[in-house]
Amino acid sequence: MSVLLTLAAGEWRFWLRSRLVLAGFIIMACVLAVTSLVTVTRIDAVQKQRLEHQVAAEERFLAQPDRHPHRMVHYGHYAYRAPGPLAIIDPGVDRVTGQSIFLEGHRQNSAMFAETRSGAVLGRFVELTPAVAYQVLAPLLLIILGHSLIIREREAGTLAPLLAQGVRPVAMLGGKALALASVILAMTVPLMLLAVRATLNGESAASAFNLVGAYTLYLLIWGGLILLVSTLARHRGIALGILAAFWVISTIIFPRLAASYASVTYPAAGKIETDLMMARDIREVGDGHDASAPTHDHLREQLLSDYGVARVEDLPVNFRGMVALASEEKLTRLLNQYADDQMLREQQQAALVHRFGWVSPFIALGNASRALAGSDLAGHHRFLREAEALRFSFVQGLNTAHAHDLSYADDANRNRDDAAMQQARVSAENWKVLSDFRFTPSPPEDRLKAATPFLMMLTVWAAGMLAVLGLAAGRLRP
Amino acid sequence: MKTVLEARDLSVERSGKRVLDGVSFSVTEGEVFALLGGNGAGKSTTLLTFLGFLPPVSGLVQVNGKAPAEDIAAARRAIAYLPEAATLYGHLTARENLRYFLSLARMRPQAEPIEAALDQVSLQPDARGRQLSSYSKGMRQKVAIALALLREAPILLLDEPTSGLDPVAIDEFHGLIRLLAGAGRSVLMVTHDVYGACQVAGRIGLLRHGQMVGSFTAPAGGRIETEAVHAAFAGRVPA
Repeated sequence: MSVLLTLAAGEWRFWLRSRLVLAGFIIMACVLAVTSLVTVTRIDAVQKQRLEHQVAAEERFLAQPDRHPHRMVHYGHYAYRAPGPLAIIDPGVDRVTGQSIFLEGHRQNSAMFAETRSGAVLGRFVELTPAVAYQVLAPLLLIILGHSLIIREREAGTLAPLLAQGVRPVAMLGGKALALASVILAMTVPLMLLAVRATLNGESAASAFNLVGAYTLYLLIWGGLILLVSTLARHRGIALGILAAFWVISTIIFPRLAASYASVTYPAAGKIETDLMMARDIREVGDGHDASAPTHDHLREQLLSDYGVARVEDLPVNFRGMVALASEEKLTRLLNQYADDQMLREQQQAALVHRFGWVSPFIALGNASRALAGSDLAGHHRFLREAEALRFSFVQGLNTAHAHDLSYADDANRNRDDAAMQQARVSAENWKVLSDFRFTPSPPEDRLKAATPFLMMLTVWAAGMLAVLGLAAGRLRP
Repeated sequence: MKTVLEARDLSVERSGKRVLDGVSFSVTEGEVFALLGGNGAGKSTTLLTFLGFLPPVSGLVQVNGKAPAEDIAAARRAIAYLPEAATLYGHLTARENLRYFLSLARMRPQAEPIEAALDQVSLQPDARGRQLSSYSKGMRQKVAIALALLREAPILLLDEPTSGLDPVAIDEFHGLIRLLAGAGRSVLMVTHDVYGACQVAGRIGLLRHGQMVGSFTAPAGGRIETEAVHAAFAGRVPA
């Protein structure tokens, strides 16, 4: 057996004979098993439930009888964001952002304007998932296992005889690193199983592989740091203190500091301010329900001129429907502007937080994980945009039916009596303007592209750690 | 006789402080040389310098005619080092400790020579399968000596080897050292035990504040006189 393997096997023997370490192993195994099972069960249920709700919502919409088309505009529809297969590892912002949007005319994605001053807060610790277990808890077990890797030998006096009988410092560190790496490999087995399951459920193998790779790299960075501190520190207590401090700074302080810094640097307007500003701007656009409002005079003149008639009653299209079409378009443009501003602000905040990955591997991994799993802020924004596209499409489809399939006279007289009300209806066939909506994660290559900066940060961390460890090996003394 | 260890005008510093100052002595093949001195005299530093852990600031240190830094692997292969307090692994048994250390020395540990070495150091057979955390200091020392025997290194560096041992264990230990020297091993032992040094050493060097202040040589077929060494060690008479 080579020196490296002998040293690694020796370390394993020590761990297996230490009650504290065994307890750590058992606790971590239980945490990983439980979080994996609970998250898989929850995400499976959520996926099934949201798909069922989506189908039911579509069926309910299509099952509506002949009606006035504008009633269907307000009947509305729901868009559900079903989590991607890799959400069983990292559900990401799912719990924070909500997962469904009610779509109706003249209103847009109310989730966008929730009381969230900072997009940077998205993705914080909200529940115990495999992602949290690996990002936050696994380093703690590695610290318990590894903080004394070298220091224990020095304190017990066994380092001197080992080096004196020809074990090279590089081999010494290599053997200990191998032992810790084997623990890391064992710890990633549940993660690999989850990734395989995600792949069987339609996830691309590349995304699953990259996700497992990112977590492994993160844990290896921790392993390197632990070995480095154990090599350089003079006492076990000091090593433990340094590593615990780094854990607190990296996983608790920096993420919150980054979020606060981002919120201050790119402040976002709150719900009340946004609602007030929007209400003011919407008034200027005019009410699409009131075709006689002065804001629609220009449209009236334009249509009368285009069709060469003198009265709206003589137009070959329903003027009220045309107002609804034009008004919805103007209103949507305005609402989109607000949505884009909000999303831009959240992206700016997120981009600022992302830079903290250079000083905290926890932040780098969190971002890489959410990007690869398709559960990041960008994925949420894409859902909002797709849902809005669906809303605009079916609302304008209904407004088109309003303009072309219902006469102005029937429309204007619909409140006269029941017969007039019956007359002011269009066929339920028109409800088919509603497209099927199935939200799926973005293509694997897009997700990899989004995760690349964070994977690069982790790679730089790992390379730096390796270089410093090489230098530390040269300084290893009994 | 071939010189296996040599320090010539050796000076060493630790943390900027001079710990050895112009020390000279040599150890020949099959010889037991004791370096005697009080706390802080520079005894352990001398051993660490031969092992190549500390570089000399001036002077010369050689193992088998070569500076350790020239070929650190060869120097360490030639030496079996027993630090103070027989540093072995408490969570391993005697056999496991020996197998582990021998594997790391790139030797193939076999059961038979291990048992023979443990027999040689008189470690009770029923203790050999127990973890060392339950051993007395003397028993640990025996395992450490067994390791040195198995290593088959021609040079032994012993750091305070009898510290904390009871008189019976000390006698057994001295017997083992004589046995090893008789078999051609060279021993450099650092100690503050005047009696023990006189019992086993053919020559004694007296170290004080990093300087060699005296030396004693045993007469042919006899031992160094304890009283003379003790008086010099205590500073009552010039060495």
